[in-house]
Amino acid sequence: MNQLVQLPPRVRLEGINKSFGSGKQSATVVLDDISLQLEQGELVCLLGPSGCGKSTILNLIAGFEHADSGTVLLDGKPVNKPGPERGVVFQQPTLFPWLSVLDNVTFGPRMAGVKASRYLPEAERYLKLVGLQDFQRHMPWQLSGGMRQRVALARAWLPNPEILLMDEPFGALDAQTRLMMQELLTNVWQTTGTTILFITHDVDEALLLADRVLVMSARPGRIRAEFSIPFPRSRDIEALVADSGYGVLKQKILHIVREEARKSMAGTAP
Amino acid sequence: MNAVQRVAISTSAVALVLAIWQLSGSLHWIDPLLLPPPSEVLRTTVDLLTNGYRQVSLWQHIWISVLRASVAFVAAIVVGIPVGLAMGLSPLVSAVLEPFVQFLRPLPKIALIPLTVVWFGIDEGSKFFLIFISCFLSVIVSAAAAAAMVSKNRLRAAQTLGANRYQLFTRVVFPNALPEIFTGVRLSIGIGWTSLIAAELVAANSGLGWMVMNAGTYLRTDVVMLGILLLGGIGYLFDLALVLLQRTLVPWAGRDT
Repeated sequence: MNQLVQLPPRVRLEGINKSFGSGKQSATVVLDDISLQLEQGELVCLLGPSGCGKSTILNLIAGFEHADSGTVLLDGKPVNKPGPERGVVFQQPTLFPWLSVLDNVTFGPRMAGVKASRYLPEAERYLKLVGLQDFQRHMPWQLSGGMRQRVALARAWLPNPEILLMDEPFGALDAQTRLMMQELLTNVWQTTGTTILFITHDVDEALLLADRVLVMSARPGRIRAEFSIPFPRSRDIEALVADSGYGVLKQKILHIVREEARKSMAGTAP
Repeated sequence: MNAVQRVAISTSAVALVLAIWQLSGSLHWIDPLLLPPPSEVLRTTVDLLTNGYRQVSLWQHIWISVLRASVAFVAAIVVGIPVGLAMGLSPLVSAVLEPFVQFLRPLPKIALIPLTVVWFGIDEGSKFFLIFISCFLSVIVSAAAAAAMVSKNRLRAAQTLGANRYQLFTRVVFPNALPEIFTGVRLSIGIGWTSLIAAELVAANSGLGWMVMNAGTYLRTDVVMLGILLLGGIGYLFDLALVLLQRTLVPWAGRDT
């Protein structure tokens, strides 16, 4: 049954334009009139060739950068600087190497001055969700790349953000670890219901994770196409690839992505 | 090559050089006045330990040099790190101080001796100043570089977790800079220890630097050699102490993830 009352969108971007550099010749238009919205609890993948401006969209929502024109709204309020209601997971774990796993994960609540008795049970719950309950006292350099990224995931999730922004978080991991991380992410997401914007250039990753996939064009970045992903949850990669609809959808998306990637290559060719 | 092999090879190399050095004296290859052999340096050590050099015991010479240097090191570190961090974080502070730092740092500190004497007299003040100034400038430069080195994404990660400007400095920029600051302090202490000789050229009558210079004028090359060995050895111990301190206080140094 569909929802009777439509909840207001969590994030709304309207008429976003963004250029880098200044002067008439050197300015590069990165985003051209981008409008999109993310519904509450939705997992949306933003797919596109490298350099298309997908990270810039994430940086705008995170508040790291500002648009030249247009508005970025979180729960109806304009975004202008980074804040704990918008968690970010980067491609690199960007942990604090001087802090233990537990201290890294609890960094957010500790900065807010929350009492340990209040955040510790939650921190332990998240560490368990990412499978690191036995590594609380370890230091980041004692962990593998995948484990570090799981710490980063728990750290971003613990403050219970309105939205999690993920910038190719599994891009630097090997294929097997990436698959495990994708399963872990969907499991945690299904227990928390956090809105997620997930940036990737991997079509399979988008099909496995997303409720909805937005495909971007080559620079200047526009939203070229939008796909709803119909596969039921919980998704299993093996069942998914056996589904006849999977190949059809993948081919459609891949076709657009490849077309845009070719344009992007032609644009940067000497 | 493992650690044990490494130590064994280093020890053998030192033993070999000492043996050749000793033979050069024993077999009269070289005039002992030009290069007193280890056996003679050892005899001089015993002599100086019992009778002192110029009415001052050898321990006193060592102690006064270590004390002068240590006081100046501590002052340079305590003042230099905050100034350096401020330069690394604030373009304004950096723009104001940079020209002075870059002018003074490569300046040979010996050139400052005449002015130092006029300003601070011939007592401890001038010696302190000469060691302090060379160490201080080096600490500033390394602390400034260390503060500016923090990665953009690490700062962004802290910001999205709710850290305010003050917390960004105390919880991210400072611990992030500590390993580099330690490395800078090690270099600076080496430079400061080098300036000890210059400092003790200033009308001193005790201290290892003074002992070496004074013994040279009387052709007491055995005392010169002993002084050199002590200056080098103590400098090495200073560095070793800092390495141990660095391992305990900043175990994440060089293990950036």
